[in-house]
Amino acid sequence: MPFTPPHGPPVTFGARLHDARTATVIGRLLGLAVLVCFATGVLSHYLQHPPPWLADRLPSRPYWGYRLTQGLHVASGIAAIPLLLAKLWTVYPRLFARPPVRSVRHALERLSVAVLVAAGIFELFTGLLNTFQWYPWPFSFVPVHYAVAWLLLGAMLLHVAVQWPRIREHFTRRSPGTLALPEADGPDRRQLLAAVAAGVGAVTLATVGQSVTVLGPAALFAPRSPAHGPQGLPVNRTAAAARVTEASLADWRLTLAGPRPYSLTLAELRALPQHEVTLPIACVEGWSKSARWTGVRVRDLLERAGAGPDARCRVVSMEAAGAYRVMEMGRLYAQDPLTLLALRLNGEVLSLDHGYPARIIAPNRPGVLQTKWVGRLEVV
Amino acid sequence: MAFRYAVGGFGLVVMAFGGFLLVREPEPWRIAGWLAGGVLVHDALVAPLVIAVAALAAAAGLRLRGAARAALIVAGSLTVIALPPLLRPGGVANATVLPLDYPRNWLLAMAVLAVLAAGYAGARACVRRVARRRAAKPQG
Repeated sequence: MPFTPPHGPPVTFGARLHDARTATVIGRLLGLAVLVCFATGVLSHYLQHPPPWLADRLPSRPYWGYRLTQGLHVASGIAAIPLLLAKLWTVYPRLFARPPVRSVRHALERLSVAVLVAAGIFELFTGLLNTFQWYPWPFSFVPVHYAVAWLLLGAMLLHVAVQWPRIREHFTRRSPGTLALPEADGPDRRQLLAAVAAGVGAVTLATVGQSVTVLGPAALFAPRSPAHGPQGLPVNRTAAAARVTEASLADWRLTLAGPRPYSLTLAELRALPQHEVTLPIACVEGWSKSARWTGVRVRDLLERAGAGPDARCRVVSMEAAGAYRVMEMGRLYAQDPLTLLALRLNGEVLSLDHGYPARIIAPNRPGVLQTKWVGRLEVV
Repeated sequence: MAFRYAVGGFGLVVMAFGGFLLVREPEPWRIAGWLAGGVLVHDALVAPLVIAVAALAAAAGLRLRGAARAALIVAGSLTVIALPPLLRPGGVANATVLPLDYPRNWLLAMAVLAVLAAGYAGARACVRRVARRRAAKPQG
């Protein structure tokens, strides 16, 4: 609906298309992107910090699940950026409604839109910067991005409920509200929507190659590139950052704690039955890449320590400190034959930055939980 | 109607949960400042800038429609997502973080876009000229 103040001409800044049909079409797509982003984000939250009742129920399949969902999380967030800007442009004249407040109900409605816009801009801004590991704000990214996500979802549901009659009136090209708009705007609107769609396509193409490896060369603005990294794989936490050195691993042994504890040297570990799996490393920041891993099944190691078929495990890294130094793995992960204590990557001995001498690689799991420089496995 | 109120009410509950999570964070007023700051930057800076560009173009006799508008929208979208790697200060955690030549890539993207838009506009002008000439010729 073109905004018409009671006094003077409509505030449209000389442009057209500040109407409810344009807002509805862009809003639908933006709403879809926000829903995908929210669902995949909450999923990752629970995979990274499962409550106790959930830990043993988290499925290790499909093995590509985390890669797909977190690729979608970042891709839908990036796609939402041109959509949000276009949506805000469409409704911008409504900011200058006169009188600014007509009633208590109107004031509350405007306040809820302010929260919606603030939360939307905040989530896309902080999320985008996080993929580039840039943190200019004075708060912790993960809990605040998570909290504002709920604020955004709630404000969006409220907004859809408030605007529902107008959305319904403009839902299709033949809806009564759409037909009441100037007919000459139709082709112009379709051109604008096509341009916004092209913007969404362009930002997607320029970044999605960080998780869709074949599109890597087109990823002009991706923070990671599948072509960059030792042994063909990007690195998040280096050995230097974790303060792990060749010297500190000189007399490395793998310790197994359980009903029948034991320890193994690297040579003994290499002498055990080796398995090869192809699994992706997938980061919550959106990048992912598949690789070939060779090592010993975690299930076999746990069984030898006297673990039953329902055992889960705790993995302790050699790193000096870090939020993920100790990692717990639910039953379905620990018992999955694809879950390895990997010794080799893409046919070579693991490099120090990829977790030499041994690291965890498990299907459908966040990258931060693929513990590197493993020193100890405990049957839980 | 009842469904509409139910969705709206559920939205309020979800918002309250988000607000509850936020106020449990240390220094929630600073988060509120960043939330409001985003709106301010958009409403007082980004949106007026877009409108000013359109107004200036109009004053110069340019109609920003069709291919020109699409090229500007795509260029703007790409530039927004290119800003973080272009502006980010400080070092990176390791050589696999931000490994690309982002200024070169941005110039490349803008150049490709300009060529595509100019090519499209040129092709359109040719098609129009041919169509006009055909229309001018007597049929028969």
